Amino acid sequence: MSATVITLWMLNVLLDTVGQLSFKAAAAETGLGEGLARWRGMARRPWIWSGVACYVGEFLAWLAFLSLVPLSEGVLLGSINIVAVMIAGRLLFNERFSALRTTGILLIAAGVAVVGIA
Amino acid sequence: MGLRRFYLIGFFALVSFDTFAQVCFKLTANAAMPPEPNLAWLLRVAASPWVYSAIACYIGAFITWMTLLERAPIGPAFAASHLEVISVMALSVVLFGEHIGTAQLVGGALIIAGIICLAISETEAEKKRPAEAAPSLPLRP
Repeated sequence: MSATVITLWMLNVLLDTVGQLSFKAAAAETGLGEGLARWRGMARRPWIWSGVACYVGEFLAWLAFLSLVPLSEGVLLGSINIVAVMIAGRLLFNERFSALRTTGILLIAAGVAVVGIA
Repeated sequence: MGLRRFYLIGFFALVSFDTFAQVCFKLTANAAMPPEPNLAWLLRVAASPWVYSAIACYIGAFITWMTLLERAPIGPAFAASHLEVISVMALSVVLFGEHIGTAQLVGGALIIAGIICLAISETEAEKKRPAEAAPSLPLRP
């Protein structure tokens, strides 16, 4: 993989993770009211907007990434996003890892490593 | 509509939307070659009809996901939303003539095994804590 491909891949993982965490933070905020009031409350807070900005950036990073790697390889490498989001969820939202979840994460990471190194 | 039929159609729709989104992404990327960090590339992306198909597929996947989660258990829904890896790889060979090597087959098998483990662990977690919010839409880009 060239330096450009790796940079775009890492940018995609970073933007996806920050985007997902932003949406999680937006959804986890309490005291904003119900229904439409809740949406208005979320729109006044930064989280939903940082989430949208990350997703727009991610969209472009993924397009540039797929311009440089075959699609079949791209989707496999993209699976690392699942791992990144789960690890970030554990660090920031104290989400718990069961043995099975840890196994799943390790298997995905190993699979991505096999594809990435080859 | 029976619940079983609802799940089947829902999962099939989810995998289809996710798969075609990725195919449309690749078609957009090919149409806008070469990728450059400038306005000219963004304009080439915007001029490709495929980018709008990709966005439409995302919206379709999002609506399907939200509808499924009202009734379907999170584990299988999670698996369905990520197992498009298999269908995308198959379509890459058919549509783009890509070659799938040994490393990709081995890596792909490990990733799929991992996704199945996560789907089972999500199902178990949901049984223990039914009130907990579902994971957000696994959007990929």
